[in-house]
Amino acid sequence: MDSSDTVTDGEIVRAVRAGDVERYAVLVARYRDRFARYAARMLGSRDAAEDAVQDALVRAFDRLADCRDPDKFAGWLFLIVRNRCFAERRRQHREERVPEGVAAAFVAPERSDGAVEQRERADSLAWSVGQLTPEQREVVILKHVEGLTYEEIGRLTGSTVASLKMRMHRAYDRLRELMTEHL
Amino acid sequence: MTTYHELVKRLLDGELTLADLPPELHPQAREALHLVAALDREPVTLSPELVGRVMVSVRGRALSPARRVWRWLAAPRDFELRLRVRPLAIWGGAVAAAAALALILGHLSTGTSPVPVARTASSDNVVFVRFVLYAPGAKRVSVAGTFNQWNQEAAPLVLAGQDGVWTTTLALPVGQHQYAFVVDGERWVADPAAPAVGDGFGRRNSVIAVTPQGARTL
Amino acid sequence: MRALGFMLAAVGAIALLPLHAVTAQDIPARLLERVPANMVDSVQRIAQDAAAHGLPVEPLLLKAIEGSAKGVSAERVIAAVRVLAARLGESRNALREAGIPAPSPGAVESGADALNAGLNASQVRDLGRVSRPPYDPVVTLQVVAALTALGVPAPQGVRLMAHMIHAGREPKDLLELPNEVQISMARGATAAEAAEGLDAAQGGQGPQGQQGQQGEGNNPRKP
Repeated sequence: MDSSDTVTDGEIVRAVRAGDVERYAVLVARYRDRFARYAARMLGSRDAAEDAVQDALVRAFDRLADCRDPDKFAGWLFLIVRNRCFAERRRQHREERVPEGVAAAFVAPERSDGAVEQRERADSLAWSVGQLTPEQREVVILKHVEGLTYEEIGRLTGSTVASLKMRMHRAYDRLRELMTEHL
Repeated sequence: MTTYHELVKRLLDGELTLADLPPELHPQAREALHLVAALDREPVTLSPELVGRVMVSVRGRALSPARRVWRWLAAPRDFELRLRVRPLAIWGGAVAAAAALALILGHLSTGTSPVPVARTASSDNVVFVRFVLYAPGAKRVSVAGTFNQWNQEAAPLVLAGQDGVWTTTLALPVGQHQYAFVVDGERWVADPAAPAVGDGFGRRNSVIAVTPQGARTL
Repeated sequence: MRALGFMLAAVGAIALLPLHAVTAQDIPARLLERVPANMVDSVQRIAQDAAAHGLPVEPLLLKAIEGSAKGVSAERVIAAVRVLAARLGESRNALREAGIPAPSPGAVESGADALNAGLNASQVRDLGRVSRPPYDPVVTLQVVAALTALGVPAPQGVRLMAHMIHAGREPKDLLELPNEVQISMARGATAAEAAEGLDAAQGGQGPQGQQGQQGEGNNPRKP
């Protein structure tokens, strides 16, 4: 079997389209964790992220014929993951299962220094991020967790830089408000 | 409750540095920077079993739900691919489909297949099916159906010889499909030798069942 | 952590969908590629409505794509998609009445195809009733639909299928039925006569008929 590290995404997509279904596993392994953090922060739990990513990878296979540029599989997959996150969020709202106040859902992992105050603050912030609108939460995550620029986020999501900034600035204020109330 | 100052927000955006802000805004700026810095950036690792779970779904979905059942029923092992000669379909003429079937029956009864058999390696869920249309006046012919999203560019037929017989061979997944021939890019023609169902638009589609033993017009 | 790990070359020229299209289900992307704009909204509404009712959406999209590939007018395509959506609902109800509480999407689709081929809802329901494991309604419905397409009267096709099942024939033998009818027709029989002949070969007498390969226990009639 050829080294899966050197094969490009485009080559694998084309091979899978031609019928070599098993090669899709290379893409799945490659992208399993790529958007996991984004999904986890959007949905509030690693479990929900795992479901969303798994679902997205299967959907991506279903729609592989629609991937216009196989070499840009990553970005195309991101849109599917994103779609799943927004859909799951709407579903949570409809069923009123928003993990609200369930700090455990958004809880940051245990810090080794064990500083209680720091942990409380991190939990509180995580909870506050969960209270933002999905669009606000997304821009916060993409910019400050994933480290993208506004231009990059704009290209990914289709929003203009101006509207992203406006959204972000509202998110900053909302977070400040929530953190003040919560503490 | 106060909102962050505009300059502090631009600091958070990365447009400005702390030095760019007037000193009276520094406390607010530090507070804001601490807030953003507290965001959880821990990478998230999903379980290794995810790959296996996705591939199980994917293998099953390489076939649609209906095709899955066909495949299961046929107890897939190593399949032999057979080029099954389909009855000649006449465009604008009349040929007894019965006669064409007799041709196939002849092969069936002698128990020999008319063409060489090939083993397939990885595609144990597709079968090669040969489509034939007799259309002597046509300039181009293709076959479109549920197996190629009704795309008339996807499966052109080619002239086999001089006498107006068009043909192609497609790899079709196991299951039931609807299809029609497209002549000269505008005339949709059902296969007269195959059973037909209404397409909902006032025309007819042909139906073919692909099983691992070879294709059959249902 | 640098963005490169996140997005790499993907941030380049991706075909972007506006936010509202992304938050709507994946339907518009596929339609937009193959179907004229004046159809997309209506088809999308029908499909989303179907999805909201738990009906399969794929056959609706494929029907819309088929219609536009054939150059059919938008009104006609939308009408056909509506009809298909109604048939999917009818099929699902019939299967539920048959005692299948959660029919699979494949079964619902096959039921709709059967209705299109000329079966009525009670016949779909009757087939659903007799199609218990190892007999899958997807197959029994498709086979009877095919028989009907060949010209076998629907009630006769349903009866033949029921007899095959009661006789304990193997599920894969059911797939052969249409072909066997065609072979008989090639020898000069009508579709109805061909089906009649096959039925007679089962013993044609329902549960009391001749046992097939899957005969259970000691049956004095077993050959």
